[in-house]
Amino acid sequence: MQRSAFTRRSLLRLLATTPVASACVRGSSPGQKRPNEIVWTIAGSDFPPLVQISEMWNALHPDHPVRTERLPDSADLQRIQLGLELNAQGSSFDVMSLDTIWTGEFAENEWIESLDDLRREAEQRILRGPLSSGMYQDALWAMPVTSNAGFLYYRTDLVPEPPRTWDEAAQVGMEAARRAGIAPYVGQGAAYEGLVVNYLELLWGAGGDLFGPALEQVVFNSTSAARTAVEFMRRSQQEGFYAPGFNTMMEDQAKTAFASGQTVFMRNWNAFYGFLQRPENSQIVGKFDIAPLPVFVDGEAASTTGGFNLSVSKFSTKKAIAKEFIRFASLSEDAQIHLGRNSRAPVLASAYGKLQDDPVMRLLGQVLPNAHTRPPVPYYNDLSLALQQQIFPAYTGQKPIPEALDAITAEIDRIIRRRQQISGQEQ
Amino acid sequence: MSAEATTQVAQIAKRKGLPESRLAKVFLAPSVIVMALVALFPVVYAAVMSFALYIGRTQQGVGLANYAQALTDNRFWAAVIATFVFTIASVAFEFLIGLGFALIMNQAFRGRGLTRATILIPWVIPTVIAGTMWQYMFNVTPGTMNFFLPFAPASFNWLGQPGWAMFSIVFADVWKTAPFVALLLLAGLQTIPIEVYESARVDGATAWQRLIRITLPLLKPAILVALLFRTTEALRVFDLPYVMTNGQFGTTTLSILVQEFVVQAANPGYASALSTLTFAIVLGIGVIFVSMLGRDLVLGTQEA
Amino acid sequence: MAGLTPASGAQGAVERRTTAQRIGKGLLLAVIVLWCLLPFAWLIITSLKQGDAALNNPNPLVGPFGLGNYASVFGAGFAYNLRNSMIVAGTTTIICVAVGSLAAYALVRLPLKGKVVILGAVLAVSLYPPIALVPPLYEVWRSIGLLNTYPGLYIPYTAFTLPITIFVLTTFFAAIPPDMEEAAKVDGATPLQAFWRVVVPLAAPGIFAAAILVFVYSWNEFLLASVFTPRDLAAQTVTVAIANFPGAVQFQVPLGSVTAASVVTTIPMILMALIFQRRIVSGLMAGSVKG
Repeated sequence: MQRSAFTRRSLLRLLATTPVASACVRGSSPGQKRPNEIVWTIAGSDFPPLVQISEMWNALHPDHPVRTERLPDSADLQRIQLGLELNAQGSSFDVMSLDTIWTGEFAENEWIESLDDLRREAEQRILRGPLSSGMYQDALWAMPVTSNAGFLYYRTDLVPEPPRTWDEAAQVGMEAARRAGIAPYVGQGAAYEGLVVNYLELLWGAGGDLFGPALEQVVFNSTSAARTAVEFMRRSQQEGFYAPGFNTMMEDQAKTAFASGQTVFMRNWNAFYGFLQRPENSQIVGKFDIAPLPVFVDGEAASTTGGFNLSVSKFSTKKAIAKEFIRFASLSEDAQIHLGRNSRAPVLASAYGKLQDDPVMRLLGQVLPNAHTRPPVPYYNDLSLALQQQIFPAYTGQKPIPEALDAITAEIDRIIRRRQQISGQEQ
Repeated sequence: MSAEATTQVAQIAKRKGLPESRLAKVFLAPSVIVMALVALFPVVYAAVMSFALYIGRTQQGVGLANYAQALTDNRFWAAVIATFVFTIASVAFEFLIGLGFALIMNQAFRGRGLTRATILIPWVIPTVIAGTMWQYMFNVTPGTMNFFLPFAPASFNWLGQPGWAMFSIVFADVWKTAPFVALLLLAGLQTIPIEVYESARVDGATAWQRLIRITLPLLKPAILVALLFRTTEALRVFDLPYVMTNGQFGTTTLSILVQEFVVQAANPGYASALSTLTFAIVLGIGVIFVSMLGRDLVLGTQEA
Repeated sequence: MAGLTPASGAQGAVERRTTAQRIGKGLLLAVIVLWCLLPFAWLIITSLKQGDAALNNPNPLVGPFGLGNYASVFGAGFAYNLRNSMIVAGTTTIICVAVGSLAAYALVRLPLKGKVVILGAVLAVSLYPPIALVPPLYEVWRSIGLLNTYPGLYIPYTAFTLPITIFVLTTFFAAIPPDMEEAAKVDGATPLQAFWRVVVPLAAPGIFAAAILVFVYSWNEFLLASVFTPRDLAAQTVTVAIANFPGAVQFQVPLGSVTAASVVTTIPMILMALIFQRRIVSGLMAGSVKG
């Protein structure tokens, strides 16, 4: 009897050592929840200037404050977190910052509210390039708030004038690289979305495109542009225009290579310009500049836009206020100029008028209106995967180019046909 | 024990509490409940979901089409091969190196405490961090590995070639997980009584003979547990190839393929079919190990 | 002690072998220590570098050094993450070891039909590709309000670490001869008492090994934590916080913050390793095992 009581007491003692804190279900945290607030999800690296915009709003509308929640930088992780919440029809988010390629998908999934009542004002005041990334099926679903575009960074001490065509770039670049003992060019060549961006810039620069104007007709392989673009990449990889390791490079590695002085050219987003001018970040301060991307001989200027669009969650309980906030963030000069002063490209056309003293902003003001957007179709993910999986082996020499291009066209056709099947069956 | 003593024990047991078989179920119940509630239901959910045919986001019916598609997809079989290559290579090296570590950690020498703690360091670093670190080191930009290795050409593209990409992730996995295997084997080494070695040494056995004839056989259950868990984990590897090579150059494992369809291309039916197939493969191999292990457990490991 | 020099041969030969062996062992130890420590040393050195140029320079000796990365990591509230990880990992370990030892004991000592089947089922639970578990679990957790809470993490962690805990402990318990428990039972103990007073002390190394396995798994787990405690500092764990560190600009990898946080994350684990290694290898006198 004694012993069993003893044992029981010992067991109880063991269980009681489970940390008392865990009997509480969560700990304390520094943030305050306020009543009537709207939740705005932002991707991490854009956080400071965008939080400042929310604070500007809070000063003007203290009874409807905006609280920001920071999502991870990785687009995949953002997608998972947003997707899980929206799939469960949760109302935790009111305003969401969306990647420009998610517009069609989120609209089709009925995850976001239509913003068509803001459309006329947007068409008059927002730059055309970024705005088209928020449109789907001729309606406005997501309002751009900040944009960026691809540019050619070049070493001013090695190359006096930025090249206008890709062939010129290859020639000049390889010559300068040979003289300086470094590599000619870095961009984004790993098999991921960045590769698609780089390829599309070449495709557009050769006068080609993926779809016709109505996004219905596939024009990808109907001109020689697609082939020109891939062949250029293949030649560059073979002849050494592309630096070693190009086929595993993402934006960060390209930045590292250029910043340490190891390449002549870099294709990257404009966001790095200010970053590279600080001595703790680069060894080439004062020795580089930024220019629009080259094109092929008979093509037009070609940059891909990135950036973020703001949308209202379909399951939000404060949609009207959320839309008002979006109007403030995207269409008020105060907010947009604030972004411009913090190295984030505004989307409001009139903001550029007040930012002319900044050379990068001037350049952006020139390039952005005509920049291309990746097709905002709901199946963009499948499309991008198809491109990645064919372009990558094509330019690295693992697959013959005609075969790869045909495979892309076949894949796009298949995706579209299956979608037509569904909409046919749904009637 | 004598028959009389056995009856006594049985009588005492009956008096003192539940009969043993019921007690066994009581002891097992908490584990089974937790595991069934949390880990079992998603498996069932996915198995059910795998028969749903999706086009886009709409379900179009039920059937085996997802499985047919998976089993005829080149990418699926390529992933199977990549997974098996990774598993065999990494488990083999982890076992050999882990055994060495365990034998060393088992000995008494000055500074062994610190050595043991040192050996455990690679394992306690979270996998995503270790993956990021090794990706950074192997990557040709900035080229840390090439910087330190005198025989590597300055721009050797470790992560950008088939073959070497797999080598890099196997290397990272072995670095990180050999200590885990060592820990399991060390726990097993502790159960081997010293007298067994003493008597063997008196009989004139060399160190090598003692290793092969005594240590390894007595260690068999621990070895099987270690191999079991390492193999089943390696078959499901995701973090390392994702962070280091993003599945490129022949490193797309089954879990990476599953992730593509769970997250990126969002086809729940096909993703569930892939997950279930992966699960079946891993389960099959696990069952083989367990049947080897189970007999030993039931019979006990005391040699006559 | 295994691996001692065999006692034979002339005196001189023995001495030579001893010295050679000692040098060999020393070299081996040095190789092992370097193998384990060099990458970690790289981690520490990188975490002390300031500025993106230095961080991305492969040469470890280059660059302004300082504690700025640590300052920014803690300024972002990393202390909260440490607290959360401690609580979650600690709770998981205690529950898992307690529950798992009971199950292991039942499997080894108590009469039960179909043990191999049960072992198989226990194992099967842990075999699923984790990424595929996320969507269904998220929906359930969301609807019962377990997101951003400690139980939301330590319940699944327990479920997923029970298999290996049970397996390790089963192996351990099986290696302990039943004589001592029989003796205890003859003295009048119930099976539970026999378990608690006889088996547990003898199996202490195995229990500590299992405890370490569970703790490390919980501390390092990323996927489930990133889904169940994504952003709220009230429950967000260290691995999620590290993945969430933003770059200075989009697409830039904040290597300084990541390495600094990684070092901070690893130090408690190293301390634990230092403390517990003695326990695992503790003087379990062979005599007491054999009885």
